[in-house]
Amino acid sequence: MSDGTGRIARGLALPVALLVVWQAWGVASASPRTPVPTHIVRAAIDLIGSGDLPLAIAQSLGRVFAGFAVAAVIAIPLGLAMGASRAVERNVDPVVESFRPIAAIAILPLAILWLGTGTPAAVLIVAYAAFFPIVVNTVAGAKRISPTLLRAAATMGLSRFATMRTVIVPGALPAIGVGLRIGMGVAWTAIVAAELAVGAKAGGGGSGGIGAMMFIFYAYSIELNRIVVCMIAVGLVALVLDRGLRAMMRRLMPWSAP
Amino acid sequence: MQLRPALVYVRTMAVFVAVWWLVSAWTANTVLLPSPRVVFEALVDLARDLELFQHAGISLGRMIVSLVVACALALPLGFAMGLRRGFDEVVDPTLELLRPISGIAWIPLALFIFGVGNALPVFIMTYAAFFPILLGTVAGVRGVDRRLVDAARTMGVPRRTIVMRVVLPSALPALLVALRLGVASSWTAVIAAELIGAPSGLGYAVEWYRELLMTPQVMSFIAMIGVLGYACDRTVRAVAQRFTPWAADEWAR
Amino acid sequence: MSAAASARGDAQRRIDEQHTSSAKLRLQHIAKRFGVQGVAQTVAVEDFTLDVAPGEFLVIVGPSGCGKTTILNVLAGLEQPSAGRALIDERPIAGPGPERGVMFQDYALFPWQTVWGNVEFGLRHGPAGDGLDAAARSDRVRSTIELVGLTGSEQKYPHQLSGGMRQRVALARLIANEPQVLLMDEPLAALDAQTRLILQDELLRIWGQDRSAAERRTVVFITHAIDEAVFLADRVAVMTAHPGRLKAIIDVALPRPRNDATRADPQFQALCQHIWSLIRDEAYRATVA
Repeated sequence: MSDGTGRIARGLALPVALLVVWQAWGVASASPRTPVPTHIVRAAIDLIGSGDLPLAIAQSLGRVFAGFAVAAVIAIPLGLAMGASRAVERNVDPVVESFRPIAAIAILPLAILWLGTGTPAAVLIVAYAAFFPIVVNTVAGAKRISPTLLRAAATMGLSRFATMRTVIVPGALPAIGVGLRIGMGVAWTAIVAAELAVGAKAGGGGSGGIGAMMFIFYAYSIELNRIVVCMIAVGLVALVLDRGLRAMMRRLMPWSAP
Repeated sequence: MQLRPALVYVRTMAVFVAVWWLVSAWTANTVLLPSPRVVFEALVDLARDLELFQHAGISLGRMIVSLVVACALALPLGFAMGLRRGFDEVVDPTLELLRPISGIAWIPLALFIFGVGNALPVFIMTYAAFFPILLGTVAGVRGVDRRLVDAARTMGVPRRTIVMRVVLPSALPALLVALRLGVASSWTAVIAAELIGAPSGLGYAVEWYRELLMTPQVMSFIAMIGVLGYACDRTVRAVAQRFTPWAADEWAR
Repeated sequence: MSAAASARGDAQRRIDEQHTSSAKLRLQHIAKRFGVQGVAQTVAVEDFTLDVAPGEFLVIVGPSGCGKTTILNVLAGLEQPSAGRALIDERPIAGPGPERGVMFQDYALFPWQTVWGNVEFGLRHGPAGDGLDAAARSDRVRSTIELVGLTGSEQKYPHQLSGGMRQRVALARLIANEPQVLLMDEPLAALDAQTRLILQDELLRIWGQDRSAAERRTVVFITHAIDEAVFLADRVAVMTAHPGRLKAIIDVALPRPRNDATRADPQFQALCQHIWSLIRDEAYRATVA
């Protein structure tokens, strides 16, 4: 009871101390553009109030969800097939493993070449990024199904398809959940990176999204406080996405640990 | 039986290349989708005049520097956090606040501080590698089998020796897994950082050739990124296999 | 008088005699509780009193959850009791130390060390090796490995060894430190039944069952298996669970050295039956609770 509040106090001590030191350093340098906590808060209020920040986040999130959905729709069935059938795995795995070390952001120039600097390229990048964690974890989940369970299903006379539906899919769900969580995190990072890169190359403004907005604040208006607000927003959205997915997983699969 | 997987691999890649060739012949646009042969020729050219390897070397060099710095920061911190609950309670919340902000998100601010150059990619990559290595170290230290520590205590071994001679070797497999994740994380960050803010390296080269609409070269560099990423991962795995042979099952994937 | 009744009479006598003989280890009114007083408190062990004579092989038997491991941990110095005192040679036990060597249920071998490295560990890094130079240390390690029957496997790693071999390494690591007391927490539990029988014989041989009590180390051994307890022990302490208490102490008057013939002895069977009758009800309750 008292130890709990003691723990919270200890946990807050360091961030609060750092904030105070930071604020003091900023006050000493006197320019209103210096990024200090109070200026950052003011910039945040501006950005949220004007609707710029929520709009940018909404744009980015839209792309993330679209790309994520595409990736999941391809990766989950593929992963289950690979996990269930050695033959499928042997034939598909080399391609997957060859492309996995190539980060989504490296594909971005190709995506721009093919689809231009707008949303379709962004969605492609996100889908590519999210695909690999989802497929890898799905395969692992399908493979990890205990052979004894599979044998039990066989002795009960289940067909291959029925086994897939009733044993493999539910059994692999926790691992698929892990893959989706990681995929979401990667997708969010990928969209920020993609928008940043496009913002840097396409002269800014064209693509929208939070990454582009951050770059504009760097290259055009040199608003450091606004950059930091965007950074914090990126972090917060990442947290919310992760926690949200975890809560959804727990609701859907009460039998597994998060 | 041993040869079969290798043959299947070759066959699958051959099918992939064949499909690629057909599609590229159908679109007949070298900028959009060059044929495998054109890409291969570009690759050979870049290799012959060493440009491929120069950029690769620069990116690799940056990654190694970042990993060294990240380890130097994350390992001691991770051990301290894993061994002392009190320290962990003070430091962890601050780290958890920073962690969701990916290395990529730091690029604009870092550009302002460092400008375009060598320091930017190294900073971003160090940041990217830091968290996976730290988290893995903490987990590794905490996951040390209590029984091993107890066994050493019953032999009267003093506490500092226990940390050096029991906790450290015990946590080593987990540390190497953390290092693998750090490598992957920083190799991803290197591309993004170089694409935006460096005058050299593989990420820079990919972007440079894209602006010139020289797709075969773009693809060559992308392939190099993939090959090196794979090679780095394999290297860490080999190190782990060599130095921690008893933890073989942790390396299944 | 039936064998069971006479065994029961002996047990009562032993409990009464405890306080008068000299003891290597003393446990006096040991209690171990978890949680806050009055609110949801778990009592692992209550009012446990037992003396262990020098050179004695004492086995503690009881159902799951009766606190056997807690007692061992208190003797090892790995846990502090909530009440009561634990003494070795009339001095309080403050913490772990090499004079009370411990063997854990899953061996707790260092996976990154070879057999040699494991056995040498306590001598190399602990007080048991003080005053030994490298050559003397080497000699002791070699002879200990020979004693447990593992000569030739010195350079192997634990993951390359069978369960029985790992148990021998754990024993060797323990003995190399020349402890006065051996504390063993179900060391044979992870082995299959056949290896178990072999290692029971080996354990008695290594302990020195054909020597006099003065030349043998004191052993406190925990097990679930009643036949194992009776085979190995000089005395068997029977515990009950919830809370963990000492129910009875049974004297095992079977002659040493003990071997396969001992297991066929009718008195052996009678003792096993008697002990089983003491804990049967508890064991049953544990499967339905």
